[in-house]
Amino acid sequence: MFWTAKLGQYLLVLLIILAINFFLPRAMPGSPLRFLAGEDVGFLPPETIQELLAKNGLDKPLPQQFWLYLKNLLKGDLGYSYQMKRPVLEVLWERLPWTLLLTGTSLILATIIGVVVGTLAAWRRGRRFDAISLTTFILLDSTPSFWLGMILIAVFAVNAKLLPIFGAQTPWVTLTGWAYIADILKHLILPVTTLTLTTISGTFMIMRYSMLQTLGADYITTARSKGLPERVVLYRHAMRNALLPVATVFMLNLGFVVSGATVVETVFSYPGLGRLLFEAVLNRDYPLLQGAFLLITLSVLAANVVADLLYPLLDPRVRSSR
Amino acid sequence: MEVGGRLRRAVRFFQENPLSWVGLILLIGLGGVALLAPYLSPYDPKEVVGRPFQKPSPEHPLGTNDIGQDILSELLYGARTSLLIGFTAAAIAILLGTLVGVVAGYAGGWVDAALMRLVDVVLVIPFLPLMILLAAYLGPGLINIIGVIAALIWARPARVIRSQVLSLKHSAYIEAAEALGAGFGRVLFRHVLPGVLPLALAQFILAASSSILIESSLAFLGLGDPLRKSWGTILYYAQARGAFLTGAWLWWVLPPGLLITLSVLGFALTGYALERLIQPQLARHGGPQPPRTRSQR
Repeated sequence: MFWTAKLGQYLLVLLIILAINFFLPRAMPGSPLRFLAGEDVGFLPPETIQELLAKNGLDKPLPQQFWLYLKNLLKGDLGYSYQMKRPVLEVLWERLPWTLLLTGTSLILATIIGVVVGTLAAWRRGRRFDAISLTTFILLDSTPSFWLGMILIAVFAVNAKLLPIFGAQTPWVTLTGWAYIADILKHLILPVTTLTLTTISGTFMIMRYSMLQTLGADYITTARSKGLPERVVLYRHAMRNALLPVATVFMLNLGFVVSGATVVETVFSYPGLGRLLFEAVLNRDYPLLQGAFLLITLSVLAANVVADLLYPLLDPRVRSSR
Repeated sequence: MEVGGRLRRAVRFFQENPLSWVGLILLIGLGGVALLAPYLSPYDPKEVVGRPFQKPSPEHPLGTNDIGQDILSELLYGARTSLLIGFTAAAIAILLGTLVGVVAGYAGGWVDAALMRLVDVVLVIPFLPLMILLAAYLGPGLINIIGVIAALIWARPARVIRSQVLSLKHSAYIEAAEALGAGFGRVLFRHVLPGVLPLALAQFILAASSSILIESSLAFLGLGDPLRKSWGTILYYAQARGAFLTGAWLWWVLPPGLLITLSVLGFALTGYALERLIQPQLARHGGPQPPRTRSQR
């Protein structure tokens, strides 16, 4: 019952995303061909226009067009980027690994730091460490990530010259082995720092709160009165139980990090999908824009499904109640 | 509770929570700047008033931008755009969210199920890519931006309002009204809706905080209204002209970002404070909730 409901919900999201992508170019005033082939479509030879019309079924009724759209998608045909003069899928494939690297690293780091600092803050409730971390994360939660990125570039890359200013690797040089990995890591530091700092707050707040509640529970008092060392009580008894709500925040952060990556990649000219989205808007490259949106959204959806599958493993109570 | 008691409790609350004061003061200050922009600005922000790329000087306290406009004046007027978009988008979103939440919660059954599915759908799609897509098709413009933001941030408030309605639904005064034969619409608008209004107000303040942040991202990506520069738009031009690669980041990049942060913070702190202020009335279980950060608003 639970799984059919969940599955149905994800299918519905999928359908809505596909529908948005399909209807947007067709709902706008003017010929949809303008969005599928570019503003200068009028200058194309008539045969090419005919071919484009036929391929997208623009001479047929809407339901048939939608069917054709789905069939093309299944074949991996996401259209043709008229600015890059390449198939959209090819471009997306090149960009996806960079976004996965950036968002994945940031999400993992933000979760770990949020959990650790949140635990410590709850343990030292009302003391200086708690006050400082709480203030810091409330402030960071209000900071626009692109601006934080610009400031970090100005301070650490331009003024201190410690790290590269933009990109994912040093251009015009071919590195191999460890030098290659080191180069990629060096380029990753600032974007990951930016994205992590603006993502930690969610995990921190929930962890601190959840830990405060757990620390007040009876079994913690029991563990303490048994004379167990504070560290054992904190990590083995309290932290494990307090972790559960973090899983929910992790799901929320997933979509959030992807949104954040869009602006952070733009600031750092990082060659991921988010930057691609920006370039596509700048160049009015609608097929590319739609393709990037589709892939980003599908990735988030897929990650949600995986997280949903893993959640019962984490919480036995959820397992039995379903 | 009579009005005097409420007021006394609110005053005591603000005395006990100094952070709420910070939030309110920030809002009043920034709102004042937005209102008084024409009197405070040394120049017309759209006028070319000097050489481009000037350093701060007595004539131009924050220098000039790439086409010779006064950056300080741009910032002061930018407060109007940023706050206007934040307020309007939040107001529309909360109107929609309250309506959906109240109807779903009170009607129950398939109406509730259908509306909540819709909420789930909106929540799972990463908002910024979808907003970029929509804004790119609709084109830049104040109305489009407000619409796009409102269309995607109503869902979480709707869920919050719904759960409040669910707990109100079985309260004595609603059941009494129903027993006296009040119809669906009457109970909804006379009893349920007033019951959630304080919560909706808190949600509105929090939504305004998100809207300002989202607007700054959209404007930074070049999707803002080109005729009305917001703080995000100023940063878009600063980025496009490489201001952060030179010393200019100190007066061209730092101030607009600080203003965005302060206004987002001001709304967020005030919103949390309001939420906590009305929580005793909600008789919620499990004690005070942690402040919801932006991934959860």
